Amino acid sequence: MIEVANLCKRFNGTVAVDDVSFEVPQGTTFGLLGPNGAGKTTTINILCGLLRPDNGTVSLAGQTDPTRPSVRASLGVVPQSLALYEELTAQGNLEFFGCINGLAGRRLKERVAACLEMGGLTQRRKDRVATFSGGMKRRLNLVCSLLHEPRILLLDEPTVGVDPQSRNLIFDSIEKLKREGHTIIYTTHYMEEAQRLCDRVAILDRGKMLALDTVENLIAQHGGPSRIEAELETPPDNPDELAGQIKGQEFSVEQNTVRFATTEPMQSLAGLNQSGLRFRALKVETANLEDVFLNLTGRRLRD
Amino acid sequence: MAKLVALAYKDFRVLIADKGNLFWVFVFPAIFALLFGAVYSGADEGPSGMNVAVVDEDQSEFSQLYVSHLESDEALNVTRLDRERAFTDVRKGKQAAAILIKPGFGDGLSAMFDANDTKLEIAQDPGRRMEGAYLQGLLAKAQFEVLGKQFQDRQWMRGQMDDWRAEITTDELPDEDVKVFLRYFDALDTFLEDINDQTYEGGFGDGLLNVATVDVQREYDGPKTSFQITFPQAMIFGILSCAATFAVSIVRERTAGTFQRLCIGPISQAHILAGKGLACAMTCALVIGLLTLGGRLIFKVPIGSPLLFVLAAVCTVSCFVGLMMFVSTLGKTEQSVGGAGWAMLMIMAMFGGAMMPLVFMPSWMRSLSHFSPVKWGILAMEGAIWRDFTFVEMLAPCAVLIAIGAAFFTLGVVMLRRAQL
Repeated sequence: MIEVANLCKRFNGTVAVDDVSFEVPQGTTFGLLGPNGAGKTTTINILCGLLRPDNGTVSLAGQTDPTRPSVRASLGVVPQSLALYEELTAQGNLEFFGCINGLAGRRLKERVAACLEMGGLTQRRKDRVATFSGGMKRRLNLVCSLLHEPRILLLDEPTVGVDPQSRNLIFDSIEKLKREGHTIIYTTHYMEEAQRLCDRVAILDRGKMLALDTVENLIAQHGGPSRIEAELETPPDNPDELAGQIKGQEFSVEQNTVRFATTEPMQSLAGLNQSGLRFRALKVETANLEDVFLNLTGRRLRD
Repeated sequence: MAKLVALAYKDFRVLIADKGNLFWVFVFPAIFALLFGAVYSGADEGPSGMNVAVVDEDQSEFSQLYVSHLESDEALNVTRLDRERAFTDVRKGKQAAAILIKPGFGDGLSAMFDANDTKLEIAQDPGRRMEGAYLQGLLAKAQFEVLGKQFQDRQWMRGQMDDWRAEITTDELPDEDVKVFLRYFDALDTFLEDINDQTYEGGFGDGLLNVATVDVQREYDGPKTSFQITFPQAMIFGILSCAATFAVSIVRERTAGTFQRLCIGPISQAHILAGKGLACAMTCALVIGLLTLGGRLIFKVPIGSPLLFVLAAVCTVSCFVGLMMFVSTLGKTEQSVGGAGWAMLMIMAMFGGAMMPLVFMPSWMRSLSHFSPVKWGILAMEGAIWRDFTFVEMLAPCAVLIAIGAAFFTLGVVMLRRAQL
């Protein structure tokens, strides 16, 4: 559905995107994960034709020129900025963007009503956007791109600066779109979002693509071991024997707390259970995409 | 086309949502036209009568008649004051002069024309000699006119002759001369006694010092009302406000991301810019329409050629839509575009005659005005409103306006595209 090959883009000598390639099959959600300045927005802008690449090709449903109106008609782009007219009402914004996307008459009314419902803004449809909270604006920003029911969605950090309630509403909306079979590219620097929403994730840093795979595989390959902390009723009688049973690394005992790292957390927990020890509390910290990024770059995502 | 209209309609709604925009685009030009129209119409009336204070210290029947006569003269604005107040007002410039009517002024012709003891004085600033001479002429005229009326009074005439008889006999005139005068007075006395009261018409009649006037209307090819000057100026101000507002709205769309969102949509960039231009043009047209309607209905401002006026308006609006596009590229933020845009447009307005009519400008400024599209816009509109331009004469300003508009529009679009990609 979406194919990107050897994409390069420079701005005044600064490399923004450096030889990025990926494919997004139809009906899947693809995440571009990276810190600010990683090249995520530049990639999105090239995909929707706002920027011309210095090198490389883009193909959207077989079309290689995203500036063509027919290609853009199949695209829904949610920009990172709140691209709304604050002087107009929510309904006014939706009606305007609907017109621009070729909707009219009854169809326009239906789609505007559906998008207001999806964004949870039906009650506030007659209010000016300037009076909305940040979360409401974000939701409106999202649904403005869904009016014409595009098959491909490019979402550029759609949850920046929103409250948890609005974030959950946005997640629910995106998950609904996934279920409906939309092809989605989702950029974020929140690893929880990528883990929750994306089938596959590409990790970008300073314009380069460092890794690309499913979330599980990325964690398995680059995330490092899971960390287990068990608080026991009584300290273990023989810590060395226990360490052998659980097959862990970095094993340590401090009073009645046992800590270790393992690449096979389920087997280790089974070994711990078979030791006959009684637990007060058990904490398992599996690796996540934050760890993947840290291991790949030596920096944290939000550094 | 529907998308173009949607774009323009959206821009218009955004414009009118801001009360500040409404004021500068619609209300300010109207205030400008009314205010300056009123000022210029005052100038059209020319100087009104000379302000003079009259101090009547004689308080005789004749002096009061004289003052009343002065008050009826349209060339004078007479205020009756006491001496002290009159002199103070002259010192402070409130009155051009003070006319002092001294006691004895009404005692008869001898007192009135006594060169050794004048009964009529003019008090004024020595620097205002021209006005003084003008006033002396008016006073002399009034004196003769009042005297002319007095000669119709037989009793007064007899009294005067008695006075003259007494003066002649006491003067050191040769006896022969005295006899001649006395015979003349006797004959006149007999005449006054014999004459029928109903038919006697003494004095100088209406013909005294009157100069016959012939009305020759000067050919006047200027505006019939000052509003014919201020309304085109106001329209230009409305158009300038529109251009500046829409230029800022373009850069606001760029910074807010809505321009980007539009560019991503299934419409071309040319459509987007055309929509912006259409919105600006329609708003300008609305401003012109409202001002024209208000001018016609309220101030009866005549429009020489409505068709040529439409042509002038279309060309002027096209020119400033092009300028608007260029101004929107003068900066990257609303503040920079707003500041630079208004500065540029204000200079054009200043040299183009939107602030001060070109006829009041020094020649070097009039030469510079050729480089301002404001001048050509006003010229085109005035050409249709009161200059009685023919279609051929209208072509020159219209061509200049279209050329400037096209050049700036192209430049603006190229720069805007460069900024996008």
